Amino acid sequence: MKLLAKENVPEVLRAWSGQYKILCPAKKEQGDCIFDTFDEDTFTLDYRKPPMPPKSAVFPPSSVLFSVQQGNYTRVPSEERSLLFGIRSCDLMGLHQLKSFYLRDKEDIYVQKKMDDIVVVVHACSRPQNETCFCTTMQSGPYAEHGFDLQLFDMENDFLVEVGSDVGRTLTSLDAFTEFTEADAAERISLIKQKAFDSIPLVPDVAKAMDILKETGACDEVWERLGSKCITCGGCVYVCPTCTCFTVTDRVFAHENGERIRSWDTCLYGGFTREASGHNPRPTQGSRLKRRHEHKLLYYNEVDIQGTLSGCVGCGRCSDFCPVHIGTLEVVKAIVDKTA
Amino acid sequence: MGDHQENIYELRPATIMRTLPQIRDHRLFQLKLDDGGSWESFGHQPGQFIEVSIFGKGEAPISISSPPTRCDSLEICVRRAGKLTNALFALGKGSRLHIRGPYGRGFPVETLKGKKLLFVAGGLGLAPLRSLLLYVLDRRHEFDDLILMYGTNNPDNVLFKYELLSFFDREDIKYLYSVDRDEEGIWKQYVGVVTGLFDRTTLSPQDTYAVLCGPPIMYRFVVERLLRLGFPKEHIYMSLERMMKCGLGKCGHCAIGDRYCCTDGPVFNLSEIENIKEAI
Ligand SMILES: Cc1cc2nc3c(=O)[nH]c(=O)nc-3n(C[C@H](O)[C@H](O)[C@H](O)COP(=O)(O)OP(=O)(O)OC[C@H]3O[C@@H](n4cnc5c(N)ncnc54)[C@H](O)[C@@H]3O)c2cc1C
Ligand code: SF4
Ligand code: FES
Repeated sequence: MKLLAKENVPEVLRAWSGQYKILCPAKKEQGDCIFDTFDEDTFTLDYRKPPMPPKSAVFPPSSVLFSVQQGNYTRVPSEERSLLFGIRSCDLMGLHQLKSFYLRDKEDIYVQKKMDDIVVVVHACSRPQNETCFCTTMQSGPYAEHGFDLQLFDMENDFLVEVGSDVGRTLTSLDAFTEFTEADAAERISLIKQKAFDSIPLVPDVAKAMDILKETGACDEVWERLGSKCITCGGCVYVCPTCTCFTVTDRVFAHENGERIRSWDTCLYGGFTREASGHNPRPTQGSRLKRRHEHKLLYYNEVDIQGTLSGCVGCGRCSDFCPVHIGTLEVVKAIVDKTA
Repeated sequence: MGDHQENIYELRPATIMRTLPQIRDHRLFQLKLDDGGSWESFGHQPGQFIEVSIFGKGEAPISISSPPTRCDSLEICVRRAGKLTNALFALGKGSRLHIRGPYGRGFPVETLKGKKLLFVAGGLGLAPLRSLLLYVLDRRHEFDDLILMYGTNNPDNVLFKYELLSFFDREDIKYLYSVDRDEEGIWKQYVGVVTGLFDRTTLSPQDTYAVLCGPPIMYRFVVERLLRLGFPKEHIYMSLERMMKCGLGKCGHCAIGDRYCCTDGPVFNLSEIENIKEAI
């Protein structure tokens, strides 16, 4: 096992940045914290869950599918290799769910390339990031079991560093990483894990709501009531680590020249399912919210969820950011209360 | 591997060989591949669709209207509806466009072999159904009796009119058609909704398979009728339409419950979707 003093982290990131584009926590002028390109002046280890999950690193809000010249379409490969430093285990699980979805059956080469080229350093949580965290319920946290290159466990002034891959091992070849006895480390980590797990309350409503959806479905009134509140901002979808829907548009520079782009889209927008005839199989906002939440809690794919409870990883962002309180936590409660 | 890996979104250039006007705002396009590929190797099945692309105007899913038994060209029958289809109508013989596909699960041809068949089409629903219809006619001995019911809103909107008229001369297909309204009184056949045609023939539900293609409203009425007549759910197939942006099960637009219309469909058996409320 390796040990890394917290004060040495900027130096390590500087060294890694020769090889990778580092995305790490950065303090912004207003005091909030986002994931941004490594910059020693803004880098911080004092951060909570950032508003956006890391999915942009593999599935950007908008990206070029084809560059079009004289009407010919060519894929422009991206050469960039990113290293995500300090993401949380729920977000790591989000990346793996997204990867499974995009590579299953028909392999999406864009996501696959980015996933292949990405290096992940997870920062295990010692306590909930805020009161909306429910990773222990969804089985996606507070620490990762696998699927990372390195995982950091917090020990006041140091990180205990768990190596998860060969790439991870190479990353720890820097002098800043010192040796720590295995047996001692294992004991420490198991204590940290237990304490962290116990600090995050379980949310029994999730499993109850999933059962209700499976057995009878939630009554339409629940969805329509939520639908009447939703302002269709799409915020919940954009902050969701596992939402994968997109639309395709053309950006025209000149006749037969330009780019074909794909951008994030959401099932909460009325036009998402409206057909050319004007017929819309999901005509109300309630029916669209139903779709979004049923996709996470009922119609998830067993392969994609990677051993977790469902297609939601419990990061709590939808509850943090929905202006009218229609996050997953509020939705499962509404489903259970109405049926109870 | 490397960059030679297949890109599932890859487009193939194609040329319009011929355009054949149908009814108002509906046109048949015959396509050929520009990259030297043949339609035989394209490997399409009746009921599948392609994505048609014109740069700057986007892409749209369009059913393949011709059967794999006729591979001189690939035919699509298009209704002028919006951006892409308007741009397509502006293109003539020799114009280039791009396509991807074939996509989706088509009609269950193997299941239908040796069976009595009832095809029910409404409006543009004949476009996808035609691929199966012509397939069955080209391999007539592989299938049992065939009844085609086709309904349009008025006598001016009959697609593939001459092809359909020729069926009246054939012994091996029973063709019934209806129009919802006939204001000018020129229609010699049945006037009323397509379900009315069920009173004009006798069916044997236990050994007949029904295949439906049309608007959602038609499905509701026809399915109800078929069930009342005693058709087992497993004998009822229908092609569903959804907004689609990829055709590959990735963009999410066409989801129906735990299915994707583009890859699990567009053709579904009634028993697969009856419990999904938003399906039809
Ligand atoms: C499996 C499948 C098979 C199909 N087969 C065929 C076929 O064989 N033939 C055929 O003609 N069609 C077929 N369709 C339908 C065809 O794909 C649609 O008509 C398609 O939308 C046409 O694309 P467009 O770009 O021309 O229309 P669009 O530009 O997408 O517009 C379609 C309609 O939607 C309206 N619209 C667009 N955007 C908005 C908005 N934001 N808000 C409100 N209204 C809007 C437009 O005004 C227009 O009336 C099929 C569809 C599917 C799913
Ligand atoms: S964040 Fe809330 S208001 Fe916005 S789309 Fe989502 S549910 Fe609706
Ligand atoms: S069309 Fe994209 S998922 Fe079906």
